[in-house]
Amino acid sequence: MDYPLIVDVFFVLLAILAVVSGWRVFCTDSMVRASFFLLVSFIAVGVIMILLAAEYLGVAMFFMMAVEMMVMAIFMVMFMMNPAGLNPMMMVHQHKFSIAAGAAVFVVLAAVALLAEFPDTPLPGDLDPVKSLGNELLGDSMLIFESAGIVLLTTMIGVVVLSSHRGRYGAAEEGSMPPGLVPGGDPAGMPEENDEGGGHHHCH
Amino acid sequence: MIVSELILPVLLVTFVLVLGAYLVAVLDEAIAGALGMPRATSVWTAPLTQGAWLLTQQANATEAPDWRAWRLAPALYLALAAIGLAVVPFSPTLIPTDLVTSVVLWGSVEALATVVIFLHGWSANTLLALIGAYRYVALGLSYILISMFVLIGVALPAESLQFSQVVASQEGLWNVIRQPLGLPLFLIVGLGMTFWGPLNLADSRDLAGGTASAVSGPPRLVWNLARAAMLVAFSGAAASAFLGGWLGPWLPGPVWMLLKMLAVLAVLLLIGRLVPRVQPERCVTLMWVVFLPLSFVDLIWAGVEALL
Amino acid sequence: MAVSWLSRLAAQATVPVFPVRGMHGEPVLHRLALAAGIELVDSPRHASILLVAGGVPPDQHDALRRVHDQLPTPFATLWYRSEPLDELAGATRVDDPDALPEALKTIHRELMSGKRGSSPRLLPDEPPNPWEGLGDDGHGGEGMMGGVPYGRPMAMNMTDDIRDGLTLDSLTVTLGPFLPMLPPGLTAEVTLQGDLIQSWTTHSAPYPIALESAFFQALQGPVPIAELERARARYHLKRLHFGLRLAGLERLALEALRLAFEPHPGQNRVMALRRRLVRSGFFRLTTTGRGRLDENQARRVGGIAARAAGLEEDWRSGDEGYRHLNFRPLTQREGDTAARWHQTLAEIEQALQLAGQAERDAVHTRRSDGVETPRGPWGEYRPEDASGVLEELLPGLEWDEAMSTLASLDLAPLSPWSLEETSEAPVPTSVEERRA
Repeated sequence: MDYPLIVDVFFVLLAILAVVSGWRVFCTDSMVRASFFLLVSFIAVGVIMILLAAEYLGVAMFFMMAVEMMVMAIFMVMFMMNPAGLNPMMMVHQHKFSIAAGAAVFVVLAAVALLAEFPDTPLPGDLDPVKSLGNELLGDSMLIFESAGIVLLTTMIGVVVLSSHRGRYGAAEEGSMPPGLVPGGDPAGMPEENDEGGGHHHCH
Repeated sequence: MIVSELILPVLLVTFVLVLGAYLVAVLDEAIAGALGMPRATSVWTAPLTQGAWLLTQQANATEAPDWRAWRLAPALYLALAAIGLAVVPFSPTLIPTDLVTSVVLWGSVEALATVVIFLHGWSANTLLALIGAYRYVALGLSYILISMFVLIGVALPAESLQFSQVVASQEGLWNVIRQPLGLPLFLIVGLGMTFWGPLNLADSRDLAGGTASAVSGPPRLVWNLARAAMLVAFSGAAASAFLGGWLGPWLPGPVWMLLKMLAVLAVLLLIGRLVPRVQPERCVTLMWVVFLPLSFVDLIWAGVEALL
Repeated sequence: MAVSWLSRLAAQATVPVFPVRGMHGEPVLHRLALAAGIELVDSPRHASILLVAGGVPPDQHDALRRVHDQLPTPFATLWYRSEPLDELAGATRVDDPDALPEALKTIHRELMSGKRGSSPRLLPDEPPNPWEGLGDDGHGGEGMMGGVPYGRPMAMNMTDDIRDGLTLDSLTVTLGPFLPMLPPGLTAEVTLQGDLIQSWTTHSAPYPIALESAFFQALQGPVPIAELERARARYHLKRLHFGLRLAGLERLALEALRLAFEPHPGQNRVMALRRRLVRSGFFRLTTTGRGRLDENQARRVGGIAARAAGLEEDWRSGDEGYRHLNFRPLTQREGDTAARWHQTLAEIEQALQLAGQAERDAVHTRRSDGVETPRGPWGEYRPEDASGVLEELLPGLEWDEAMSTLASLDLAPLSPWSLEETSEAPVPTSVEERRA
């Protein structure tokens, strides 16, 4: 293979960026920042894919990950009791278990990288990656991709329903309460009135 | 090789962006003046004097902002505008970056813009900026989806995801006529992603400037510049996708391209001054219930035409 | 060299002014909105001059200091019919509205050329709320609920959620008294979830607004109806200006303001304005049928808000002079934001039509035991502060809806001084006195 040296330089720089920003995800004290550090890491990987001549996949990575990380950040903010994600908070939990799991996964992946035999069939120079990807998506694997697509679409519609003015439990201006777990029961998901043990307190 | 592949494209993109952003400011002032706004200075110097004033103003701080993100966001938005313009062809040979997947790259510029606008509002750590950021995210997804379907529509007759091929496919008939729904929908996307005029929900008046409400001095200048630059980049994409890019009689290709970009800009700026700001609630409904289904219709139209 | 070239260019810029709307300061801001070379901006960060228009009660001086310190250097202050703060005793004061635009431009030029130093900071540069987090990351303690970093508690409000059952992400802030979207003087504590208002507690009422002297004369004896009705039209046109500017229709907002400054605005021009508003999509795009007042609330607010909700309450129907002109109160049914703007436009047209008719026949008012002010009937009592309705009205609305609802409502109490006398009116010392 002949390619200019600059490609190697860029690969090393991007790889470092991907790893460092991936590491920062666990050091930062904010949900939003963590999401976007992860996005930076993915973008670096996307550019590496473009360097590997997988142009479509690399570019698709940008927009997929941009939207995904954005939605992830918003969902985290919505479900955590941190107002608008503006307060600092610890982003790592269960330290011992996660360290062990991380180390184990690293060993496995490193072993795969070092020990596995990768195929070594050079591709024809005039191969059009977009075309071959299209054949793959709408050829033999069509059923898999289409069903995955429909699942994603349903998720999207679900998100819209959740975030729309007509909320999960009725219209916003009418005041909405979650339904009870048994018919006619108390609203689910609401804490008990006299919950002494939990350390909850009203902030208003 | 370095000159033709690196320096020339960078110079071309910088030149068009800076000139375009200046023209956006001049055109907007001129339209405002024609509609009866009081005006003291000439439209040609007004953007320059305002820029000079912002350069002399101090860049303020808020309470515990996310400094890096706050300072980077305007620059990143400007960079996204430059990337977006870099894939726009000015003639069959004068293309800053002729990527095979340039249409998809334009889509990812729109997606990344959502992230950058959100960061700009969120990292200031103040209420009004935060609301602006939230609003943009809530609407950004619908802009991206509409834009995606409309752009797939223009990629179909070209059988390519490359802007230069898309322009070449309009040799016989421009897409603005072949797919009549496409351009209006794409213009709505453009107003949305630059949050301009009726779709200025991120930096709106009811939020005292929204994501930019707590920014002053040079960062604000960069942010304003970046918004105008994104409008220019968008007009480039719209002119290539629907108005036949460099195609046209008598004049050389790049001149046609610039004229078409100016026309798109003029239409967008005029809409910006004539239509009131749409309420976010109404905007969400319009996007998902009216414009997104219309973009499906546009795509089906394009597909049926490609089959015939 | 380069720097002086830059500042010379900057000196020619349109002067960005952040107005602090004090008591009776509004009229001069309307003049400034029409002045060329001056831009009234919405955020203190975007301004080079802080214009304090009208008196600010001493108990809100701290808020004024906070706004003052938000302007980025270099900046200056200008006080219009207002006593400068003690720390800023040397600041420029201008009491003549005609001299104001030139004074603003001069100050801006002097700031840019370095002839005038920037206004000093008044408050120490430290966080208003200290870091009170527990542990390194601020949220130590049980259930991540210890600590209050930067005065912002982790949200654990177990109040009923009004939107979708997600009770967690809520933010409580204090708004006012100088936020340009709110009526001047109004302060409120607001809890938001995203951009949805969950609770609204009004802390201090808006500043009283002054009416033209015609309304005061109507309480003394007969006045020409033409004069009264033109004053009414002017008042509503100025409110319309505010609403349209907020909706992003700057051009039509200025058109409304220009009409308000004309001595004899034509009814047909108001009709043309209404047609252009309808065509631009103002009613369809910027309102969502929210901000509806029920009968009780409408009665509390009075005036246009009451008639927009279908109440046929108008002092003018009891006046012989108006009956002579075949006056009949106009009403709308819906009582929401759009209905209030429809009502406003209709009443402006009606007022101008009555004025024209009354001028021809030289009709005067007959009753002087009360008058229908633009803010509601003034009989035994002056229309009072009605900002209490906000606490019921605004929760459940999104920010934009809440702000456009606020713009369409006229809630401030009426001032005991007329517009012509306001320069002599004293500034009350505290919130309590203003309520009294």
